Amino acid sequence: MLVAVVLFTAGLDVLHADQKPMTGREVMVLEEERPDGDDRTSVLKMTLINKRGSRRVREISSYSKDYGKDKKSVMVFDRPADVKGTAFLSWEYDDPSREDDKWLYMPAMKKVRRISGASKNEYFMGSDFTYDDMGDRNVDEDSHKLLGEESVDGHLCWKVESVPIDPDDMYTRKVIWVSRDMHMVLKAEYYDKDGLLKVYRVLDFDRVGGFWTQRHSEMENVVRKHRTVMEFSAIQYDTGLEDGLFKVSSIQRGRVR
Amino acid sequence: MLPAALVVAVELLGGTLASAGEPGWADRIEVDGWVEGARSVRIGSPHDALMSRLWGRLKLSADIGDVYGHVAVDAQQNWRVEDETGLDLHEAWVEYAADGWDVRVGRQVIIWGKADGVQITDIVSPPDYTEFITRDLEEIRLPVDAAKFRLLGDKIDVELIWIPVFKAAVLPSAGNPWAVEPEIPEEVRVTASSVEKPEVSLENSEIALKVSAFLSGLDVAASVFHTWDDNPAMHRTITGDDEGEVEIHFSPKHHRMTVFGLEFSRPLADFVFRGEVAYYLGRFFEPQSITGNPLEKNALQWLGGVDWTPGNDWSVIAQLTGTAVVDHESEMAVEKHAMSATLHVSKKLMRQTLTLSNMLYYDVREQDFFDRIKTEYAVTDDLHLLAGVDVFGGSGGSFGRYRDNSQVWVKAKYNF
Repeated sequence: MLVAVVLFTAGLDVLHADQKPMTGREVMVLEEERPDGDDRTSVLKMTLINKRGSRRVREISSYSKDYGKDKKSVMVFDRPADVKGTAFLSWEYDDPSREDDKWLYMPAMKKVRRISGASKNEYFMGSDFTYDDMGDRNVDEDSHKLLGEESVDGHLCWKVESVPIDPDDMYTRKVIWVSRDMHMVLKAEYYDKDGLLKVYRVLDFDRVGGFWTQRHSEMENVVRKHRTVMEFSAIQYDTGLEDGLFKVSSIQRGRVR
Repeated sequence: MLPAALVVAVELLGGTLASAGEPGWADRIEVDGWVEGARSVRIGSPHDALMSRLWGRLKLSADIGDVYGHVAVDAQQNWRVEDETGLDLHEAWVEYAADGWDVRVGRQVIIWGKADGVQITDIVSPPDYTEFITRDLEEIRLPVDAAKFRLLGDKIDVELIWIPVFKAAVLPSAGNPWAVEPEIPEEVRVTASSVEKPEVSLENSEIALKVSAFLSGLDVAASVFHTWDDNPAMHRTITGDDEGEVEIHFSPKHHRMTVFGLEFSRPLADFVFRGEVAYYLGRFFEPQSITGNPLEKNALQWLGGVDWTPGNDWSVIAQLTGTAVVDHESEMAVEKHAMSATLHVSKKLMRQTLTLSNMLYYDVREQDFFDRIKTEYAVTDDLHLLAGVDVFGGSGGSFGRYRDNSQVWVKAKYNF
């Protein structure tokens, strides 16, 4: 997972692995498996800024809960008005051979539609994040190579190159900086066949409920001079979200509670 | 009556919660809606406006813990179909959600089915064909006054709907450019009674039961709906005199029928495969001849479709639908087997601010079609401009009969 829409966290009690040489995959497993509670809630404000500086704002309430290594998530769009009430339910499976289950509730149509799990390379609501950037990506969907160590904003990081196994992936490679202390991605560069496409940076993070949590980040498309700023608020962990929240019947109601 | 009940319920519960120190009304009440202006011009002579209206919907929602209330009021000024002008209570319902079940009571729109732009099992909320199918689907649905109870299991939901007051489909009336005038021979005189609708009584209620399962990789549902046909059967009484003049008296009447439904959808890689089947017990079909009478038959309606999401903001939805009449008779207006197809292609551009789409309905046997080419541009997130062309082609059938109604149109919609 690079940029989970739900929350970024880093555990405090993960063993330091600096007694022995790390591989790129081990770094990414550390990043993926850091503790982040059993469930989490947040509000995400996403600001899309084009090269002329004009802005569009999307606001999303987000809920997720772990079921072993699998995860169920609900996103409800609060803003803009034309998509208000749209809800997206996903059951994401750790097993890469198993397709995720996804449903979309559209308030105008007043019905839930099953959607295919293969839209990972599409951009999310016109932002600079693809669905894949925002969701859980299994570590073994890429091959990883540790390039060394570098500092990002004063934080010592492992620098990892990740190359997608799927040759049709929209990225040819990614370079990812993972904090050695927090096991959090602090920076990432996305390359396609034409070179550097996007740069992701975490601008602010904090410890919430005992977990390191991202509060403010941005993704910049350096080719199109467009960027997306993400700000998280109302962050909560382990509130005991009910299983019923993550059912089709919940989003079918037209409101999630 | 329904809004009054809603207000009372909201007041009672609101008072209880306020005393318990819960959030205030401002946090619990939401107001939103939309306003749209639309106008079209007929492509052929006389190049008049087939659509000219200003339409707004104001929605008010109150969230009071386990209880949720929703009211939507429509206001419309329609310069083309004057009957549409006025205020209308579109929805007004109260919902109570508990652990494992919920109930929604009041005026509501209920949508079933998996299809795109086609109604097979989706027959709970009747359609409004005032402008045929040139309106967006959300504008075609009519609400019903109903109570909907759901039992919500881990993977299986059971839905029970009771509709005490029958609501018919809205068909375009005389003076509306979408009204279909029957061809009447010169020597025939026509008279008609008003439509015979079922009286409001417990035994005339409509009842629906649906069981849905949402499984990993498969959604499937089965339903039964004891209902009234939304469209009346046009019964005729024929009388003649010695001079050869014939009088046909139409007595339109809604009939009881029972519909069994099955539906499924299954994702596979970039695709979602969908299907629906509805078996109608006791549906009346119109005769070919104006002097014939409707015939009661059983019939099967089916749909198979596939959604393809190839990426890069493309979407393709293709569907085949058909109707098969059991014990078909040659004097019936419908064929024994009828089949039609739809193809919906859309592409988003410019960071999803511009959407180009094409929706084609094609009747395989009649070889007539309706094609809607549409472009939608988001000037801002809230203000969208739309423009399109509706093309009807063919010589007869459901679409070809409107070949003189092909139109270009523009629309502006503001969401708030």
